[in-house]
Amino acid sequence: MSLIEVRHLCKEFKIAKRQEGLTGALRSLFHRQYTTKIAVNDISFSIGTGEMVGYIGPNGAGKSTTIKMLTGILVPSSGEIRVNGLIPYKERRRNARQIGVVFGQRTQLWWDLPTIESFELLKQIFQIPPDRYRQNMALFNEILDLDEFLQTPVRQLSLGQRMRADIAAALLHDPKILFLDEPTIGLDVVAKERMRSFIREINKNRGVTVILTTHDMSDIEKLCQRMILIDKGQVMYDGELTKIKETFGKTRILIVDFEENIDDFSLDGVEVIKQEGNRRWLKFNREVHTASQLISQISEKYEIKDISIQDPEIEVLIRNIYEHNYTLDQVFTDKTRI
Amino acid sequence: MMKTFKMYLEFTRKSFQRSAAYRVDSWSRIIGNIMSLGIWGCIWFALYHGHDSVENISFQSMLSYILISMALQGIHNAGTPLWEIQYRVRTGDIAFEMLRPYDYPLRMLFTDLGSISFHFVTAILPLYIVIFALFQPDIPLSASQWGLFILSAALGYLIRYSLELTFGLFTFWLIETGGVEDVFYFSISLFSGSVVPLWFFPDWLERLASLLPFQGIYFIPNAIFIGELSGQEIWPALLNQVIWLIICYGLLRFVWNKASMKIVVQGG
Ligand SMILES: Nc1ncnc2c1ncn2[C@@H]1O[C@H](COP(=O)(O)OP(=O)(O)OP(=O)(O)O)[C@@H](O)[C@H]1O
Ligand SMILES: [Mg+2]
Repeated sequence: MSLIEVRHLCKEFKIAKRQEGLTGALRSLFHRQYTTKIAVNDISFSIGTGEMVGYIGPNGAGKSTTIKMLTGILVPSSGEIRVNGLIPYKERRRNARQIGVVFGQRTQLWWDLPTIESFELLKQIFQIPPDRYRQNMALFNEILDLDEFLQTPVRQLSLGQRMRADIAAALLHDPKILFLDEPTIGLDVVAKERMRSFIREINKNRGVTVILTTHDMSDIEKLCQRMILIDKGQVMYDGELTKIKETFGKTRILIVDFEENIDDFSLDGVEVIKQEGNRRWLKFNREVHTASQLISQISEKYEIKDISIQDPEIEVLIRNIYEHNYTLDQVFTDKTRI
Repeated sequence: MMKTFKMYLEFTRKSFQRSAAYRVDSWSRIIGNIMSLGIWGCIWFALYHGHDSVENISFQSMLSYILISMALQGIHNAGTPLWEIQYRVRTGDIAFEMLRPYDYPLRMLFTDLGSISFHFVTAILPLYIVIFALFQPDIPLSASQWGLFILSAALGYLIRYSLELTFGLFTFWLIETGGVEDVFYFSISLFSGSVVPLWFFPDWLERLASLLPFQGIYFIPNAIFIGELSGQEIWPALLNQVIWLIICYGLLRFVWNKASMKIVVQGG
C-alpha cells in the first residue's frame, strides 16, 4: 500500500444562513437554516514514499481543506484517508508524530517567545533525543540561516524569517511526511529559492515525502515531478509535469519585432495570436515547421529588427484549465485555445 | 509518564519566563489588587464601626478573611484561561492546537501555573508578607492548619480553572459572550465569598450558595485560614470541594470533547 491513500474523499461545510432583521435574528436562535458548501468532491489519489507532489488549483479549489483532512484536524464527510496506515482524525496524536505541517498563512510557533524557545518547546513536546535535536538544528541552521533571528520573538520576525522558522519547526521531530500549504507565499525571489532548495534537500537526502500547495507554478516546476491539479473540489489532472510540457511543447511561439508596421502579415502554418505596435506573436507547430525555416521565410519578405522564441508556459496551460473549466483531455485536444 | 509530565512542565517554565518579559502587565495587576484590597478593607472597617463582632465574627477575623481572599484572588487573576481560549477560538488557532500530541486543557493549566508562580513569587508573596506584618491579622497557628489551607486553596484554584475554561469553550456555540460573561463573573465573585463571606448572606442566599460549586473557590480556604472552619468541620468542606472539582472537571472534559468535535467537523 502507498504511504498516503485517499479514496473518494468528500468534505462539505454547513454554513448557517443569516436571516434578515430582528425577527430573523430571533427565529435563527431557535431554528437555523443552513446551506451546504462542497469543498472537496470525490477526490482520490495515492502517494508513495519519497515522492514530492504539487497540489495545485485556483482559490477555493479545496487544497487547504484536503491538507487539513490529511493532518487530522478536519473530519471528512465521506471517503477514506490513510496516512502511513493511520486514519488521521481518529488517531490525531499518533499522526501528528509522523507528519510535519506548515501553513504559510499562519505560524504555529509561540507568538511571544523567542524563536529558539519555540524550538525547545517542540523538543519537549515531541520528546526529541538531545543528539538528534542538535544535529537537526545544525543542518537547518546551515541551509536556512536561523542563527540570524533565533533570539527574536516570533511576532517580530519578517515574513521570510517566520516561514524559515516554521518549516524548521515542522521538521524537528523527523517526520516521514511533510505537508506544506503555500510555503512560499509572500516571499521574495531569494527567499523563495532558499525555501525551495531546503525542501529539495529534505526530500532527497532524508527521503521525506512532500505534498505542497502553491500558486507559484515555478515552485512546481522546480520541485515536483508530479502534480495533482484540482478545481471545485475535483481532480482535473494527476500525473507527471513533463507530460504536459511534452504535449504542449508541440506548439511554440515566435515573437517578431518588425522594422515597420505591417498590416497584411501572413505566412503558411503560422497564426498571429497577438500584436502590439510592430511586434507580433506567431504560433506554429514545431513538428511541422522549424523556427529557423520560418525566420528565413519571414526575413525574405520583411525587415526584422528582433526575434525570440517562446515555449508555452505551464502557467498558460493552467490558466486555461482554470478559466475555461477544461479537463486536461479537452485542453490537449482543443489546441487552438492556447 | 514521567516524560509526559516533563513536557507539560516545560510549558510552565516557558510561561514563567514569558511573564518575566511582561513586567508592566504584572505591575498593573498588582496595583489593581492593592486598590480593591483598599476599597474592601475600608468598606468592612466602616461596617464594623462601633462593633467588636458581627454574627460572632470579630473584626480581626474579618480583616484576616479579606486579606487572604485578596491574596488568593491576586494569584487566580495571574492566569488567563478564559481570555486565551476566546482568543484562540476567534483567530481559529484552536484547530492548530489539535495538531500537537498533547492535551489542550491540560497544557493550558500548566501554562497558567507558570505565569501564576511568577506572579506569586515576585509580587503577591512579598506584598502580602509586608501587609500581614503591618496589620497583624489572625493567621493559621499550626502546620496542619497551614497544610489544610493550602490544600483547600489548591482545590479552589482547580475548581475555578475548570469552570472558567468550560465557560470559555462555550464561545464555540455563542457568537456574543458579553452578557453571559458578566453573569458568570458576577456569580463567581458573589457566590465564592470573594469579598463577602457566606455567613453574612441572608439565609435563602446562603442556602443557594451552599448548593453551588463557587464556595469552594475562596470561601472554604478563607474560612480554614482564619480558623472559622476547624477540627471536624474541615472534612466535609474539603469533601465538598473534591466532589465539585470532580464534577467541574468532568464537565470541562465533556465540553472540550464536544468542542473539539465541532472544530474537526466545521473547521474551526
Ligand atoms: N470552515 C469552513 N466553513 C465553511 N466553508 C469553508 C470552510 N473552510 C473552507 N471553506 C470553503 O471551502 C472551499 C475550499 O476552501 P479551501 O480553503 O480548501 O481552498 P484552497 O484551495 O485552499 O484555496 P486558496 O488557494 O485560496 O487557499 C472554499 O469555497 C471555502 O470557502
Ligand atoms: Mg488554501
